[in-house]
Amino acid sequence: MAQSELVKKHRVRELLVALLPIAALAVLFGALCLVVNIKGYRLDMYLKIVFNEGVVLAIVATGAIFIYSLGSFDISLGASTLFSATIGVMVYNASGSLPLMILTIFGVAIGCSLLSSVLASVFHIPVFVTTVAMMSVLSAVAAQIITTNGGALGGIGIPATVVAPLDNVPFKLIALAAFALLCVFVFDFTKIGRRLKFLGSNAVCAKLSGIKVNVYAIIAFVMAGLGVGLGAFLTLVYTPSVTPTTAGSIGMNILVAIVFGGMPISGGSRSRIYAALVGGFSYILLNNILKIVIDSGAGYGISQIVSAVFFLAVVYVTSMNYRTKLLPR
Amino acid sequence: MEPILAMKHIRKTFSSTVALGDVSLEVYPGEVRGLIGENGSGKSTISSIAAGMQKADSGEMIFRGKPWRPKSMIDALQNGVGMIVQESGTISGVTVAENIFLAELGQFKRLGVIDRKAMNRKADEALANIGVKDVRGSTPMAALDFQTRKLVEIAKVVMKQPSILVVDETSTALSQTGRDILYGIIKRFREEGKAVLFISHDLEEIMEVCDTLTVLRDGARIRDFKKEEFDPDAIRTSMIGRELQGDYYRSDFTPSRLDEVALKAEHLQSGSALKDVSIDFYRGEIVGVGGLSHCGMHTLGKILFGAERPDSGRVVTADGTKITNETVAMKQGIGYVAKDRDVESLALNTGIRDNIAVAGMERYAIGNVLITNAKEKRYADQQIQSLSIKCAGRDQLVSQLSGGNKQKVVFGKWIGRGSDILILDCPTRGVDIGVKKAMYELMTSLKKEGKTIVMISEELPELMGMADRLIIMKDGVIMKEFQRSEDLSDAEIIRYMI
Ligand SMILES: Nc1ncnc2c1ncn2[C@@H]1O[C@H](COP(=O)(O)OP(=O)(O)OP(=O)(O)O)[C@@H](O)[C@H]1O
Ligand SMILES: [Mg+2]
Repeated sequence: MAQSELVKKHRVRELLVALLPIAALAVLFGALCLVVNIKGYRLDMYLKIVFNEGVVLAIVATGAIFIYSLGSFDISLGASTLFSATIGVMVYNASGSLPLMILTIFGVAIGCSLLSSVLASVFHIPVFVTTVAMMSVLSAVAAQIITTNGGALGGIGIPATVVAPLDNVPFKLIALAAFALLCVFVFDFTKIGRRLKFLGSNAVCAKLSGIKVNVYAIIAFVMAGLGVGLGAFLTLVYTPSVTPTTAGSIGMNILVAIVFGGMPISGGSRSRIYAALVGGFSYILLNNILKIVIDSGAGYGISQIVSAVFFLAVVYVTSMNYRTKLLPR
Repeated sequence: MEPILAMKHIRKTFSSTVALGDVSLEVYPGEVRGLIGENGSGKSTISSIAAGMQKADSGEMIFRGKPWRPKSMIDALQNGVGMIVQESGTISGVTVAENIFLAELGQFKRLGVIDRKAMNRKADEALANIGVKDVRGSTPMAALDFQTRKLVEIAKVVMKQPSILVVDETSTALSQTGRDILYGIIKRFREEGKAVLFISHDLEEIMEVCDTLTVLRDGARIRDFKKEEFDPDAIRTSMIGRELQGDYYRSDFTPSRLDEVALKAEHLQSGSALKDVSIDFYRGEIVGVGGLSHCGMHTLGKILFGAERPDSGRVVTADGTKITNETVAMKQGIGYVAKDRDVESLALNTGIRDNIAVAGMERYAIGNVLITNAKEKRYADQQIQSLSIKCAGRDQLVSQLSGGNKQKVVFGKWIGRGSDILILDCPTRGVDIGVKKAMYELMTSLKKEGKTIVMISEELPELMGMADRLIIMKDGVIMKEFQRSEDLSDAEIIRYMI
């Protein structure tokens, strides 16, 4: 075969691989419409659910890309979403100030993230170890605050009217787009992003190329904290109350979402912001489809299993695409 | 005579790259066959197909009269073809013994538990068998340097007594003692009527070691040379397809430098590797540092770049800045080409462009922050062009490049950013003569621009050929300093090494 023909064939294959996650998103969207239709549910209601859940997951996952690109991961992101929302509610109820609440949420979210990464670098332990500890501590403290203050209601909240003006599609879309753009900018158009990706590819070589490993780990965690803050705020906009289970599964879901979006969990140069956006919505779509198909009551466990099988399948297929034969030459 | 191994019409492509067009190759009993050719000519590819590391697209192989279709390297080794690979063929997280017996831990199982004592003892034997006495089976692999890791790999392969031994560009990772061990093994193979396929870019070495030579160029077999036909110029010419003009090393024999110190090492002390080492490096000077592998010169390179901290003593630049880490070193214009290329100098699963760009972003970042694709591409392309890196495109993964082209990427990374002081640890390892010549020319022109080059090398000829001043180390101590001169004799220099 002629050289140019080979090149062409190769390019086409690479393009197809890149488009796969988007195709999956489209298929899942079609599937949701289909099952909703078959079951005779209201499509607009489901679209609203998917949109609201998807926006939050996509935002938190987008921030988390910075951590994942390092080949590291943070399991406490769900817990810190819950925690910062909880503190935000407490601050609003004490002060009655919305701006103060927003500031608090972001402050707490970034604080949690910073704490994970700084602890890891001080004690020289892998950062995901500290995030496991953070997860337990944060969700326990949040649950404690919620049960002491929420009493019989099982949750605490702010008056719905406070955030009602923001509970609409344009606002959330703008929030998502603004954050995604910020992340794309930092990730793809600054030295910071390049260095994070390189660090994820080979930390030893990165260090020998003058990249300060600890500094960049902290930057990554701060970016993730920003996403958590925004996600926590939008969670409150959607449902102005928090319970101990709010955002509980986000930490794990991000992992699945990012893989759905076509990014290797090992991070490195193939890290992409759009993986979080595409994957976040794909994951929520799949989740809702499974919830509808498998009868809700007894189905919780089953839908988890189906989702896990799906996850493994996707990991397998995507890893086939980026796995290159590493010849020790 | 029947060949032990006959490879017929082997073709191998990697997506858009044709690594081997249609190559046939035979190896006969008692023969040491050399494979020589430019970087990317297909040497590693053809030999790794024989050794089961990868499969050909088409073609067939006959080994000892039977069709040969190894399923893996382990399968090949167990059935008579062993290979020592170009880069690291060992795993660093485990012990020496575990590396040697990786595929057959089962044989040491007693009641389901691995008998480590027995395994370590066997490993000691395997190492002693090739003449390595100072490494134990129980030693963690990570504690060993590059050369010793190579020796462990050799022990592992030779222990299985293959009929054919493939040695891919290994000798340049070894110092003289290691090489002697390797040559001894090759001699044994020849005497026992087995065969060796030997790959090297060192023409003198390959002419010395081999009985026949096969030249590859661009994935095709160009020509064979019998021992009596060996002639450096003819071999070179058939390798690159044209005559190589001019001098290989520097043509002048007078040491020269600017009267300005660029970097000072003061009383460096580091474990047993360095003992009170002080050196001044001048602008416009090429300083060669030589010695045996363990003499401390590799540690010296790391410390000069701030990648390792000395126990005491310090490294300072001309303006008094103390080099404490890599970031400071780079701010001071220091660049470092590490010896362990695949681990320390490159991110393998990443594109050429990213690898080149990572050290040079301040060269084209707007406001030292903003990166645009266009500028970055231009920057990477410049290096790819000026070093003529053979690749399918700037975004090709570095793991897919041939050994020499990987090294060029590393050079591009440090030269592109305009380093004023370059610390080069075994810079021409695995690099073909054409590229070597280009690198030497580059070093000479950098010298003329007033830059400082510290060349740490295990190759005496290149040290003698290039350095203004040659520092010989032994056991962490500077034994002797030689000035550049026509009358330098390698015999005398070696006396200070051993
Ligand atoms: N896994 C791979 N993917 C893509 N291309 C590859 C791969 N392995 C080898 N190649 C290409 O095949 C060609 C031959 O490579 P090979 O490693 O055999 O060269 P070589 O003669 O050993 O060179 P060197 O002297 O630099 O080691 C090169 O162009 C290389 O880029
Ligand atoms: Mg090779």
